[in-house]
Amino acid sequence: MTSPALLLLVNGETRRVLAPGQTRLSTILRDELGLTGTKIGCDAGDCGACTVRIDGAQACACLVPVAQAAGHAVATVEGLAASPMGDALQRAFLHHGAAQCGICTPGMLMAASELLAGEARPDEAAVAAALGGVLCRCTGYRKIVEAVRDAHRFLAGGPAPVAPAAGCAVGERLARADGLAKVGGTDRFGADAAPDGALWLRAVRSPHPRARFAFGDWAPLLARHPGLVRVLTAADVPGRNGFGIYPDIKDQPVFAPGEVRYRGDCLCALVGDRAALEAIRTEELPIAWTPLAPVTLDDALGGEPVQARWPDNVLTTGRVVSGDAEAALRASRHSAAIEIETGFVEHAYIEPEAGWAQRVGDRIEVFACTQAPYMDLEEVAGVLGLPQAAVRIIPSACGGGFGGKLDVSIQPMLAIAAWLLRRPVRAVLPRGESMASSTKRHPARIAARAGCDAAGRLTGFAFEGRYETGAYASWGPTVAGRVPVHAMGPYRVPAVAARARAIFTNNPPAGAFRGFGVPQAAIAQEALWDRLADAAGLDRLEFRALNALRAGDVTATGQRLAHSVGLMACLDALRPRWRALRATAAAANALADAGGGRQRHGVGIGCMWYGIGNTGMSNPSTMRITLGPEGLVFHNGAVDIGQGSTTALLQIAADALGLPTDAFRLVLGDTDLTEDAGKTSASRQTFVSGRAAAEAGRALREAILLRANAGPEARLALRDGALLVDGRPVGLESTLEGIGRFDPPTRPLDADGQGIPYATYGFAAQLAALSVDLDLGTVHLQRIVAAHDVGRAINPTLVEGQIHGGIAQGIGLALMEEYLPGHTENLHDYLIPTIGDVPEIECLLIEAPEPLGPYGAKGIGEPALVATAPAILSAIRDATGATLTRIPALPHRILEALRR
Amino acid sequence: MTDIRYLAPGTLDEAVNAFAAAAGAARILAGGTDLLVQMRAGVVRPGVIVDIKKIAEMTTIEETPEGGFRIGAAVSGARLAEHPRFGKAWPGVLEAVNLIGSKQVQGRASPGGNLCNASPAGDSVPAMIAAGAVVTVQGPHGRRQMPVEAVPAGPGRTNLTPGEILVSFTLPPRPAGSGDAYLRMIPRTEMDIAVVGCGVSLTLEGGKVTAARVGLGAVAPTPLLVGPAAEALIGSRLEEEALAAAAAACSAACRPIDDKRGTIAYRTKVAGVLLRRTAAIAAERAGRA
Repeated sequence: MTSPALLLLVNGETRRVLAPGQTRLSTILRDELGLTGTKIGCDAGDCGACTVRIDGAQACACLVPVAQAAGHAVATVEGLAASPMGDALQRAFLHHGAAQCGICTPGMLMAASELLAGEARPDEAAVAAALGGVLCRCTGYRKIVEAVRDAHRFLAGGPAPVAPAAGCAVGERLARADGLAKVGGTDRFGADAAPDGALWLRAVRSPHPRARFAFGDWAPLLARHPGLVRVLTAADVPGRNGFGIYPDIKDQPVFAPGEVRYRGDCLCALVGDRAALEAIRTEELPIAWTPLAPVTLDDALGGEPVQARWPDNVLTTGRVVSGDAEAALRASRHSAAIEIETGFVEHAYIEPEAGWAQRVGDRIEVFACTQAPYMDLEEVAGVLGLPQAAVRIIPSACGGGFGGKLDVSIQPMLAIAAWLLRRPVRAVLPRGESMASSTKRHPARIAARAGCDAAGRLTGFAFEGRYETGAYASWGPTVAGRVPVHAMGPYRVPAVAARARAIFTNNPPAGAFRGFGVPQAAIAQEALWDRLADAAGLDRLEFRALNALRAGDVTATGQRLAHSVGLMACLDALRPRWRALRATAAAANALADAGGGRQRHGVGIGCMWYGIGNTGMSNPSTMRITLGPEGLVFHNGAVDIGQGSTTALLQIAADALGLPTDAFRLVLGDTDLTEDAGKTSASRQTFVSGRAAAEAGRALREAILLRANAGPEARLALRDGALLVDGRPVGLESTLEGIGRFDPPTRPLDADGQGIPYATYGFAAQLAALSVDLDLGTVHLQRIVAAHDVGRAINPTLVEGQIHGGIAQGIGLALMEEYLPGHTENLHDYLIPTIGDVPEIECLLIEAPEPLGPYGAKGIGEPALVATAPAILSAIRDATGATLTRIPALPHRILEALRR
Repeated sequence: MTDIRYLAPGTLDEAVNAFAAAAGAARILAGGTDLLVQMRAGVVRPGVIVDIKKIAEMTTIEETPEGGFRIGAAVSGARLAEHPRFGKAWPGVLEAVNLIGSKQVQGRASPGGNLCNASPAGDSVPAMIAAGAVVTVQGPHGRRQMPVEAVPAGPGRTNLTPGEILVSFTLPPRPAGSGDAYLRMIPRTEMDIAVVGCGVSLTLEGGKVTAARVGLGAVAPTPLLVGPAAEALIGSRLEEEALAAAAAACSAACRPIDDKRGTIAYRTKVAGVLLRRTAAIAAERAGRA
């Protein structure tokens, strides 16, 4: 059937398209008109990433049939800069750090541009109303609100961009070095580009949590669908049909060989042209299923093994033992115990997994969103049976990761398809498939007990955590290892017995998610402190201050913390806010009591610590800077997933070298062009790669000074491609190079968890003020105050952005997020915070310098999240007296807890 | 995939003919906010799509000679909000229609689509029920009218007969002293599906309730008209006793399910809580009207 010609007016230009009327506008914009600035996050109107304006009004392009857009004016992010307010808005986004990963940014900009067209100076409520339909998973929305409200100032130019002089970049609020592409919609995410002629790949996934299956004859399907080129199954994997984080645990098959172990497990893949793949119904596939009874956390211990290699279903056990915790608890004046349960949490990055692979001679190239290019390289080499040198990973812009893009997803199957077919092959996971197949935060069942003496000093702590690791190992060992180290929190506890086990079930693999199991543990640990503080008659903040770790203290793993222990400074900074917020809450409650109000106000506190980098194992990073005829080039293999490492590392390298940040050209991520910086995880890039960047900058500086025969204080400058040292030109015929490498010093933990797990720790304390509706069980957040010891804020705007975003995810963990396989595989049943769910946040940056870190800096990515849920739950208890033991604290659970 | 006929008739008769001729293979397209999602998910695979946005009767808002309103089934929430008088007469209905989805969705989604999607939790439906809205439908055998609460038959199912298209909603004239309101309970601040929704319409004379209607959503397979709750309010001055009786009637009417959004016990309790709060807002508006 021929399609009618439709005329679209896109960004003021008339475009003629031939397409069936029901084709979604988003498809036309991206695939027909090449306007890939309009992003697709869900294809269901839930995320708003594809927001465009039609006759001025915002609409989700994925919900608009193109026939209904014909004849109307369609505006996309590509046309935004042409209008003065659009240009001002984009510059305000850059200035305020309102774009992190950038995947929601075009949608946010388009929604905001509608608002600003009618109201140049909107208040916060108007911004929230206008942007309420666009989800952001990175920023916590606060800087977006700031940018939209401030955009009018940029109409008349606005503040000049921060452009620090040589040697002055660290500590400055430099705009993102990769920001222009993000606000312009030109950044290339996994779904935005592919080589010409690329075939598409569609994975086929299990609808059962556990089943055996057998394939029938594929020939009829191939005959019915001429566009279907090939079906790939386990038999087609050229190398090892398994991947996994640990070198000795490659337990997750690319294509399951006969048995699937979770709903979403991949059993085969269809490769062909896109229309043919979309036309194939799941029911057409020749698959005979034999469902089996799934193993759940309730019956995993002592039940049937999920994988034969682990007969007891225990993947890993982590422990930390110091002193005699049981004896200490028995002798304690006050004691408390709690059992909590948390659920799966989905990363919900707005960019679903996407990318392509192509064979280039005897090498394979993979372009995809990732947090760990060198790990992808190892996995792709493994499944293809190729040497690692035959693999090139080119990270796309990464539209959010949060740990979920540390594991490979589509990379192995794309590589296999492209290798075998000798044609480029691409894939974009639909939202539902992304959610069903990807890793999750570990559900945890935790029993914890603690005691203190009459004065409130902690005496002992016991912790038993069962962490559901799902069907495959993924990062389960990391979680089980990290949790016991952190389980008692950042406090002096003389006697500790902490154990965490990662347990297999037939659920999605639980992997890495911002905090590696520590946020779950912190919920239990901080709830105990509130009870002990009450029992000892101490203020909850003062109880924590009394017990807080200080420099010179020895932790439960036997590590002496010599430097950079800023928890007391965090608590000192919070104290006046704590008192003021508590007074406000008390006054509001008195008023409610007098008037029969049904809102109860409360203020909570949570503290946390977090070891930066891998637990007791090597995790090096290498950075390289070159100066030669091609200019000054920073080869940075650290993947920026929105958190800002590209910018922070540039600031560090620039100051170490002594040249301004704008003198550098950046080469990012590509494994053929950059060294292994290690993965973007464990809050390690600023600390580890930052230190490597500083070393690289210094090494290049030394090489320059040597060539120029200049002293250590010499001033460098680059002018028109020429290098000047103290004003004297220095020849650049041959390229000078500075290589920096850093591996944080640690010592592996022994059987009792004794050792030096981390070279340094981030510390934080957060306050939450809220009200609880006693009849509905709903929570209204009023304010969060976050004090974080970051060692040194390399770029305060980026640090605040991490804190805001971590808090938003902490809010989700505490109040609404719960992934249920088969029930919440979309962004309207799986709820993440919207712009209206994140209250005002005050960030207090504490700088207790870490001598090992670059300019004293430590990490912030995960610390930002850990304390939030404990603070919120502490505030709910303060408001109502109810202790929530089943997380998230959904309204019906709050009402149930109130009745107890 | 591309063998779908896309029709955008200019008259209702053409639409009805095309819809009936396709004998079940056709789907009505208004704003597209449900249909395109269902097609993408493979839940529906229509052979014909009938786009009704070019039909005047389905896309306009009229004031009836009696002083009520007739709203085309495909009118978007945003268009309804722009009407100079509708929101003053029916603020609760307007609130409810504009709680459907996000800001972007509200620019496209229509009360007709919300009703025909037949979700137990559709936000506009309890408010329409409380308003006493009557729908006009047209099919191969002509036109008929039915009360809005008679349209949903169960989750995803309606009582429209094959070939029938929902044309419009007619809301009655508003006597002086009337007000309506809609409240829903969601865990998130916006863009969410109601755990419980409650619409109340009241008319007061000298502080005494002379007419009342109550609609509940997300507590049963279809949105409910709760007659006993209205009866408890009529004749009262919204005293505690009357509100308690109406709240109890709402809770008693609930036949909810346990699901990820809430438990049976929770929904049953919250139906009563929302009745009280919604009635208070409706009464406050009635006092001003």
